Amino acid sequence: MVGWRWRALRTYISASRAGNGDCWRGVLAASILGLSAAVHAACPPDAADGTVVRKGDLLLAYRLASGAGRLPMAQHFALEVQLCDKDGVSAARLHKADATMPEHRHGMNYRPAITPLSGGRFRVEGMMLHMAGHWQLSFEVLAGKENLRLSHDVQVD
Amino acid sequence: MTCRSIEPLLKRLGLAALLALAATACAGADKPEFTAAELSRIAAHGPWPLPWMADPGNRVSGNASAIRLGYALFFEPRLSANRRVACASCHDPARGFQDGRTVARGLVTGTRNTPGLLNVRHQRWFGWDGGHDNLWSASLRPILDPREMGGKASRVARVLRSKSTLDCHYAGAFGKRPDAGDPELLVNVAKAIAAWQETRGSPATPFDEFRDALQRGDAQTAAAYPAAAQRGLRIFVGRGQCATCHAGPLFSNGEFGDIGMPFFIKPNGVDPGRQGGIKRLLANPYNLLGAYNDDATRNNATGTKFLRPEHRNFGEFKVPSLRNLTLTAPYMHNGSLATLREVVRHYSELDEDRLHADGERILKPLHLSEEESSDLVAFLESLSPAAPLPAPVVPPIVAACR
Ligand code: HEC
Ligand code: HEC
Repeated sequence: MVGWRWRALRTYISASRAGNGDCWRGVLAASILGLSAAVHAACPPDAADGTVVRKGDLLLAYRLASGAGRLPMAQHFALEVQLCDKDGVSAARLHKADATMPEHRHGMNYRPAITPLSGGRFRVEGMMLHMAGHWQLSFEVLAGKENLRLSHDVQVD
Repeated sequence: MTCRSIEPLLKRLGLAALLALAATACAGADKPEFTAAELSRIAAHGPWPLPWMADPGNRVSGNASAIRLGYALFFEPRLSANRRVACASCHDPARGFQDGRTVARGLVTGTRNTPGLLNVRHQRWFGWDGGHDNLWSASLRPILDPREMGGKASRVARVLRSKSTLDCHYAGAFGKRPDAGDPELLVNVAKAIAAWQETRGSPATPFDEFRDALQRGDAQTAAAYPAAAQRGLRIFVGRGQCATCHAGPLFSNGEFGDIGMPFFIKPNGVDPGRQGGIKRLLANPYNLLGAYNDDATRNNATGTKFLRPEHRNFGEFKVPSLRNLTLTAPYMHNGSLATLREVVRHYSELDEDRLHADGERILKPLHLSEEESSDLVAFLESLSPAAPLPAPVVPPIVAACR
C-alpha cells in the first residue's frame, strides 16, 4: 500500500511542480496527501489504486502491478487488487480472476493464479488479453458465504 | 466515372495504353484519407526493427563464441544421420530461411510447411503448434527428430571434435570441451545455434517507411507508398479485421487461431495443432519450467506456467508474422496456399462451416472485389524488404580460436 501512496504523492508533486514551479504548493499538497493517506490507508480506494468496481458494499480496485496505465495487448501482465467495504479493508477473499471477449465467445489462453497479500490485497498473475477489442474482466470474491461476481469492460488496442 | 471504376473497364477491353494513362492520371486520386482511428492502428504496427534483447533463458545469448559456433552448425550436414541434412537444407537464408516446399523434406517428408526464421528472437511460441516455449529447444528438436536430421549426442560430439574451430568455440562458450557423455552437450549445442538465429532480423520495408512518414507528418515520403498498398492497408486494419490477430510490429499477436484451414493429413491422419503442441510442450524436459532454463527467476516461463488448455485448441495454429512473405511462399501450416492471392481468396471466400462451432467469429467471408483483392495483396507484399536480402554476414572467429 505504501508503495502506491508514494507513487501517487510523487506524481502529485511532479504535477504541481510542472504546473507553476511553486515549490511551496507542492510541499503543502504533499503533506495534505500524506496526512489523508495516513488517515484512511488502503480503503476506500482512490485514483492511485486503479479502476474501481462496485457491487453492493464491496469495492474492488485493480491496477497493473507494473504501474503502467493501460492494459497491454497480447502481453502477459499481473494485477494488484484491493478489496474494501464500508468499514474499510474487506475480509472477503478474491478467488478467481478471468477475462473473456463476449462478442467472440472466447476467453484467455492462460489461467491466472491469485496470491493473497496483506490488507485485503491480492496479486493476480498470468493474465493476457491476446486480441484487440472488447474484453470483460471478471473477478469472483467470497464474502462470508456469498460468492460475488464483479466485472468490468475494457477496450484493448 | 471514378478512377477505380474506369480501371477494370479498360482492363476488360484490353486497352493497356489507356490503362497506363489512367494509372498516371489516377495516381494520388485513390489514396485513402486515413481517419484518426486508422492512423493509430497503423502506428501500432511499428516502429521497426524491434530492439534486440538477449534471451534470459539462454546464457550464451549474444556470446560471440556461441554465435560463431551456432552459425557453423546451422550449415553442418554431418549432424544428421545420413550426413546430408543441415538446418539450412530446409531453412535457406536466401528465402528468409524457408525452403519453398509445400511441406518440409528431411530424412523423410514431413507434414508441415517450414517457417522462415527471420526475427525469430521475437517469437513467444515456436513451431506451428507452439510445441516449444524457447528457441533453443525448438532448435534441438530437428537434430533429434528421426524425420528431420535423426542425430544423436555421440554424432554431435564427434562433429564438434572434428574441427579445431568448432571445438574451440564450444569451449569458449561453455567453458569445457564437448563430451558425448555430458548430459548438457545437446542443449548447449542448441543454445549456440539459437544464439546465431537470434541475430537474424529483417530490415525496414516500404510499409515501415510509410508508417514512420505518417508519424512524422511527412506527406511527401508517405506519398511514395503505392496507392494500392494504402487501400489494402485500410482493408487490413478495418473491414478485414486482419490486425486483430496479425497485430503489432511483427504482424502477429504470437498466439493461436483457427482460420478454417483443413487439418487432415494424408492418408488418414489429423494435425491437432495447438492441442498437440501444448501436450508436447508440457512433456518436454527442455521447456522453460525445466532444469535447462538459464533464467533463475523463471520470469520468462510465465506463458508456460499459466497455460490453459481448451477444447478449441484442436485445429488452432500459430498466427504467423506477415513480414517477409514474398520470400517465404507457400503459406499456412501445411503449405497448401501457393500465393498471396490464394491466401486473400481464402479469407475472401471463407467457409464458415469449417470454423469451430463456437469459433472466432472475427472471421467472416469478406467477398472482396478483384481490385480489393489486388490491393490487399499489394499491401501484404509491402511488408517485405524492397530489395533482396544480402547473404548473412559470417560471424568472425573469436581471437582465442584463430
Ligand atoms: C527437414 C526440414 C527441416 C530441418 C532440417 C530443420 N527444420 Fe526447423 N523447421 C522445419 C519445420 C517443418 C518446422 C515447423 C515445425 C512445427 O510446426 O512443429 C520448423 C520449425 C523451426 C523453428 C520454429 C520457428 C517458428 O517460428 O516457429 C525453429 C527455430 C527451427 N525450425 C530451427 C531449426 C534448426 C536450428 C535446425 C537445425 C538444427 C532446423 N530447424 C532444421 C523444418 C526443418
Ligand atoms: C483469427 C485470427 C486471424 C485473423 C483475423 C486473420 N488471420 Fe491470417 N492467419 C491466422 C492464422 C492462425 C494463420 C495460420 C493458419 C494455418 O496455418 O493453419 C494465418 C495465416 C495467414 C497468412 C499466411 C502466412 C504464412 O506465412 O503462412 C497470411 C498471409 C495471412 N494470414 C493474412 C491475413 C489477412 C490478410 C487477414 C485479413 C483478411 C488475416 N490474415 C486475418 C490468423 C488470423
